[in-house]
Amino acid sequence: MDIILAAVGNAFTWQALLAIVVGTWTGIIIGGLPGLGSVVGLTIFLPFTFGMDTITSMALLIGVYCGSVYGGSITAILINTPGTPQSAATTFDGYPMTQQGRVDEALGWATFASFFGGVLSCVILILCAPQLAKFAVNFGSIEVFALICLAMMCIVGVSKGSVMKGLICGMIGFFLAMVGSDPITGGDRFTFGSYTLSSGFTLIPVVVGAFALSEVFVRFSSRNDPGATIPEAKLRFPGPGECFKRLIELIRGSFIGSFVGALPGTGAAAAAFMSYATAQKLSPRRDRLGQGEPDGLIASESSNNAVTGSSFIPTLALGIPGDVVTAMMMGAMVIHGITPGVRLMVDQAETVYSLFVVLIIVNVAMLILSKPSISLFRYLFRLHQGYVMAAIIMFSFIGAATVRGNPLDLVVAAVTGIFAYALRRADYPLAPLVIGMVLGPELESSLRRGLLIERGEFLGFFTHSTISMTLFSLLVLVIVWAVWSAIAQRRRSSVNTRHVETDAAK
Amino acid sequence: MIARLANPRVLLGLALFLVGIVLAFHAWRGPTDAMLVPRVVLTLWCGVALAITLVELSHATAMSSRSLSPLPVLMAAVLIAAIAVASLGFLLPSLPLVALTLWLFRLRRPLPLAVGTLVIAGGLWFLFHHVLLIRLPTLLTSGAV
Repeated sequence: MDIILAAVGNAFTWQALLAIVVGTWTGIIIGGLPGLGSVVGLTIFLPFTFGMDTITSMALLIGVYCGSVYGGSITAILINTPGTPQSAATTFDGYPMTQQGRVDEALGWATFASFFGGVLSCVILILCAPQLAKFAVNFGSIEVFALICLAMMCIVGVSKGSVMKGLICGMIGFFLAMVGSDPITGGDRFTFGSYTLSSGFTLIPVVVGAFALSEVFVRFSSRNDPGATIPEAKLRFPGPGECFKRLIELIRGSFIGSFVGALPGTGAAAAAFMSYATAQKLSPRRDRLGQGEPDGLIASESSNNAVTGSSFIPTLALGIPGDVVTAMMMGAMVIHGITPGVRLMVDQAETVYSLFVVLIIVNVAMLILSKPSISLFRYLFRLHQGYVMAAIIMFSFIGAATVRGNPLDLVVAAVTGIFAYALRRADYPLAPLVIGMVLGPELESSLRRGLLIERGEFLGFFTHSTISMTLFSLLVLVIVWAVWSAIAQRRRSSVNTRHVETDAAK
Repeated sequence: MIARLANPRVLLGLALFLVGIVLAFHAWRGPTDAMLVPRVVLTLWCGVALAITLVELSHATAMSSRSLSPLPVLMAAVLIAAIAVASLGFLLPSLPLVALTLWLFRLRRPLPLAVGTLVIAGGLWFLFHHVLLIRLPTLLTSGAV
């Protein structure tokens, strides 16, 4: 109880509350600008946090994260252009509602569903994370190795595009993490005699280059200017009766988002589409879905915002980030002295509970700040894209330069940006690169410690304990599933090609 | 065949394969203990990169002639500015980089270009370096610029 009271006290300081307001508000705006999104938002705000205390800095970043997930829905409803991929399913019913002149109602439902999903996932996080952490204390090196293998395979398996491209990106990230010192012996690895390389690569410059700088290059090459006319819109929240009528949809979407968010590698976009697909089967008003039905909006928005809370479950309790955003949040936590993992709930319980309280306040702030943010979009869309892109380059440079004060990090960010642009153009997914870099060092340490325990016998890993046996069995299942679905997809595409060829011949 | 090889996707796969070979060679020559995991990862890297190259080669079509894009100019400017920061400090390389970025994004009128450059490069540098006291790389040892 003392910890909870202390956590509430930590979260209700004026600095933390100001950080929540600023972070959430700007997060909503960044999320609403098509192509930007959570990672770019976090890149912009990370340098601001270096002079702040732990809770205030995390409040700012959590605000940006949650705000950006919600912000994407505003442009999805207003101009049929999702600000973030997470809001793509919102366009299915959001934009038809705008076309029917029900834009105020659509924005109201999207905001309320986002708030509902966000708060429910916070409750699930508060209930589940400590239990998972308690269970995870039993994990030794071999169990951690099996768990990380499983998480990496899930991430590669569900990554967009080909599994092979996901795999190689994961290995590139893993290799980048290996440059510098060997974690066990301390000897130099892949430094090629260079003193500057002996300190290795850190996560933030790589993420900044891979996501923020490469986005500038992609925007430049496509000259994709989202200039659009924004319709006049206000926010009209649904009444209690309307909410009660659609309570099942709200709860279902929130639970789907919370469940999917806790799985590594899935993320909010997958949650929103899964929730929408479920609503198409189960909603009592499913016949009207896609024609401007609020149930579709609720399914998409409650689930994508529910991911924000539950994605912290594996991150905080196991030290395994589910996606790029949580990997970046984890990097920021490490910079501010929080080390996610099985000991976190024991060693820094007050800080963790403070983050839970911050998450709840952020969702309330999102509800309050949605109204003034929506009116701002009319002016923001008139801003020249050049200003936004130049500012992103500057924030990327500042973020890379200030992480550890090493100018090499700027070069790393620039080179990663150019390389990531080439990867994106060739349809390589970038998320496994970041996840490989985050999980790689822990995977290596646990493998080598495990080999010492098993006296060099790798086969002993599979029979070490019930937990390791279960995790390795799940790993095999995931690999079989990934291979099976790849073969099935190839068969489907070849059948489709044959149909198209036959039709063309006719 | 040569035209297929010139496809950017094939070239990227090939480049990844060659980099993998060089790094794997380095890993296999290093100490067994420290290079155990790098050897496994880089050997897998080579195998997967080769598979990707072959798949891309089988799907590749000859490239049609393309118009020149100024994107490499922007990329080179970002890279040069990033390298220059170590010796020139943060502010000096940032000003021409922001000006060039705005110009390349077709903001050509002199006043918005100048104001944008000063506000985005100079303003952000001043905000972080002098107001928030989050120190950026400097040219002078006094830390003023």
